[in-house]
Amino acid sequence: MTNSIAEIEQSECMLVVGSNTTEAHPVLALRMKKAMRGGAKLLVVDPRKTWLAERADVHLQIKPGTDIPLMNAIANVIISEDLHNKQYVESLTEGFDEMKLAAAEWPVERAAATCEVDAGDIRKAARLYAAYKHAGIYYTLGITEHVCGVDNVRSLSNLALITGHLGYEATGVNPLRGQNNVQGCNDMGNNPVYLPGYQEVADGAAREKFSAAWGQQVSEIPGRRLDQMLDGLHDESIKAFFVMGEDPIVSEPNVEHVHVGFKKLELLISQDIFLNETAKIYADVVFPATCFAEKEGTFTNSERRVQRVRKAVDAPGEARTDLQIIFDLAKELGHDWGKAQPSKVWDEFARLSPNFSGINYARIEESGIQWPCPDVSHPGTKFLHEGAPIRGKGRLYPLDHIKPWEEADDDYPLTLSTGRTLYHYNAATQTLRNEGHREKQPKSFVEISAEDARELNIADKEEIVVQSRRGSIVSWAKVSEKVRKGVIWMPMHYAEASVNILTGDGKDLKVGTPEYKLCAVRLHKP
Amino acid sequence: MPTNTLTINGEQVAVLQGESLLDACAKMGISLLTACHDNRLEAYGGCRTCLVDLDGAPRPVPACKTLTSAGMVVSTSGEQLETVRATIDEMLECIPAAALETWTDANRFIGYDPQQCIMCDRCVRYCDEIMQCNALEHVGQGVDAFIQPTQGDSFLDTSCELCGGCIGTCPTDALYSKQSLKVFNEQSDAVLSSTRTVCNYCGVGCVIDIESQGNNVIDIDAQTGVGPNDGHLCSKGRFAWQFINHPQRLTKPLVRNTESGELEETSWQNALSIAATKMLDIKQRHGADSLAFLASSRCTNEDVYALQKLARAIIGTNNVHSCAAT
Ligand code: SF4
Ligand code: SF4
Ligand code: SF4
Ligand code: FES
Repeated sequence: MTNSIAEIEQSECMLVVGSNTTEAHPVLALRMKKAMRGGAKLLVVDPRKTWLAERADVHLQIKPGTDIPLMNAIANVIISEDLHNKQYVESLTEGFDEMKLAAAEWPVERAAATCEVDAGDIRKAARLYAAYKHAGIYYTLGITEHVCGVDNVRSLSNLALITGHLGYEATGVNPLRGQNNVQGCNDMGNNPVYLPGYQEVADGAAREKFSAAWGQQVSEIPGRRLDQMLDGLHDESIKAFFVMGEDPIVSEPNVEHVHVGFKKLELLISQDIFLNETAKIYADVVFPATCFAEKEGTFTNSERRVQRVRKAVDAPGEARTDLQIIFDLAKELGHDWGKAQPSKVWDEFARLSPNFSGINYARIEESGIQWPCPDVSHPGTKFLHEGAPIRGKGRLYPLDHIKPWEEADDDYPLTLSTGRTLYHYNAATQTLRNEGHREKQPKSFVEISAEDARELNIADKEEIVVQSRRGSIVSWAKVSEKVRKGVIWMPMHYAEASVNILTGDGKDLKVGTPEYKLCAVRLHKP
Repeated sequence: MPTNTLTINGEQVAVLQGESLLDACAKMGISLLTACHDNRLEAYGGCRTCLVDLDGAPRPVPACKTLTSAGMVVSTSGEQLETVRATIDEMLECIPAAALETWTDANRFIGYDPQQCIMCDRCVRYCDEIMQCNALEHVGQGVDAFIQPTQGDSFLDTSCELCGGCIGTCPTDALYSKQSLKVFNEQSDAVLSSTRTVCNYCGVGCVIDIESQGNNVIDIDAQTGVGPNDGHLCSKGRFAWQFINHPQRLTKPLVRNTESGELEETSWQNALSIAATKMLDIKQRHGADSLAFLASSRCTNEDVYALQKLARAIIGTNNVHSCAAT
């Protein structure tokens, strides 16, 4: 997030895109609810009628996968009605003319037709977003899990830049992270092209620094992204896979294909707190690890705040902390790193990463600090881009509509979209073990509009088969006003009806994020 | 912001406009008892626990609901005040008789004990103002009053989101966590402790307190004024902790028996040695870039830093990524 969670309360206008915030980030949504009570305007872009959408000043219930035409049209209205921040655009951005031309390709009426929303609503949303100073954009997987995920995000940053909505409280462009430590995992360099602290593998000086610190030469060959690793299973260029706390055969799209790849592996090492599905079938070695309540360390939340994680109880049996396991394995591989001490590991990272150098365990004992925090006298950073964008000038991008990887057609006439619900979490290995949560939402369901249900002669709660070109699963119909005609929605949490059996190979053309959000399906009775 | 100066117990204090007498007292280090007050909710002034004497007012005023203004003269102790406070204490103690037979509910999270309820309505107001779920209601009056899910339905069938915020704000044990009651062992003399840490579900990063009895987690709670969450939690953060002490947890390393194809328990030394030998062998035969490492965005910063370091500094590959790069 460019901004902080607490600031949301001061919002005058919130543009929530593809985020079912009250279910996926419930406590952050409380700040939004508070802002709404205070009279803040709410604009929601979502194919589903979410809790927020029902209460929004404008709900743009777009056809899934049409975010760019919509954002282009909004930019277009803002520019053509002269509502943009000319001073900001002139002095602090680049690429305005190209961006403006690209946006002009999407007049409101054309976008309204493509997105299947009301033209007047697009205008209204554009005017409201531009009118308020404290206007922030909030988005999540709904926007990134598409073939055009990166461009979707750029279409949002375009809006923030042309209005100058950046660099002060309760504004900016704010991705809400799904898992607790997505932010930290990226910060720490678990990325094929970034070393810790976002220092590029391609940068020779950065490589030298880490090589010197680690006493080993860091390879200059860029690594593989997860999707490329999975591809590597098929052409056998990847022979060994170390999987920490993840369950790829449940969580990755196009499951059948993933199975074929895993069968070819020579070595799979799994480190987890439960025996997950991937490990059950494919692991050669399984290390029993510890959960968050059993170890010391830090997590970094969506607002870049590094906070202390502390041990409350002992791990069961012989389970060891993840850090201990990696240190033990390092030693077995011939490198003795000494005692596995979380605070020392943090200090090593912070010393090598300038944006984090000012953070240490003593400073975050009472409360967390938001990076960038370059030195120990720095208080941390509540919002980014103060005064000017970090890179000097904010880049505006000319963008155009990119069609989804798979669109509904005569054979598969419905678009399936997937997501999280309030009561469960991802593959639900943790929440489905809670009796109370299982009870509130015991089994998989398919939200379908009353119109589609009538046409297909499907009754509420009826058992149905959802079929895509990759496979089929059984689930239960939930006739709902939340989805629009032509679109069905399913939660991603249930192993027995794993939606990833249905989803395809579509992935973001730039960063490889899988297109979980949509694929074409049909429904029939079992 | 404009400030006002007032006098409390003979001393002067400056406060911001819009602050209450309760805030002013807090600034001076005087902590008044409160019951119906939660500073995340709109001031209510229903229970009268926080009464103070205000010069010029005909009777004591509730500090939580009285806004400060310049020149106020306030006293927080005195004989008359003590008498009134004692009476209020008694009133709060009194049990709503009819409420003894109120609802029990099928949900596994939230329980209600009317005998403990002081009818301060914090739960109802929390649900209305903060959650905006309107899932609780105050029924009846006086000694017949009690709290129930709207229209007497089960929490499972109302707009309740099972956040447990009503439990969190309840100043007594009237609303309680059923899960905690189930695992708490009164007989045990295992140490009770509270550990401040961070929720492991979503990226909001709510600060939580894990309450444990020996090695068992018995509750998760949050404190007002702490962390990005200010004491709020969602259903996952507050209640989804059964997995921690779950019997299916892995407790020993496993290796696959090459003959039977089954995973079998083994020693750490054996598991580590098999893993390391195979990794080095594959590196030698196919090169460092034939190994891939997938970090978990559920693990700590330190865990995943160490993993990428192992991949880069020991194996010699940049093949490190995580499942949710979003
Ligand atoms: S659990 Fe949350 S939503 Fe349900 S009644 Fe209590 S405060 Fe309201
Ligand atoms: S249940 Fe608790 S919060 Fe609700 S009215 Fe009774 S005492 Fe107050
Ligand atoms: S309590 Fe809920 S909102 Fe807070 S971090 Fe946990 S899952 Fe996220
Ligand atoms: S705490 Fe002030 S009236 Fe209840």
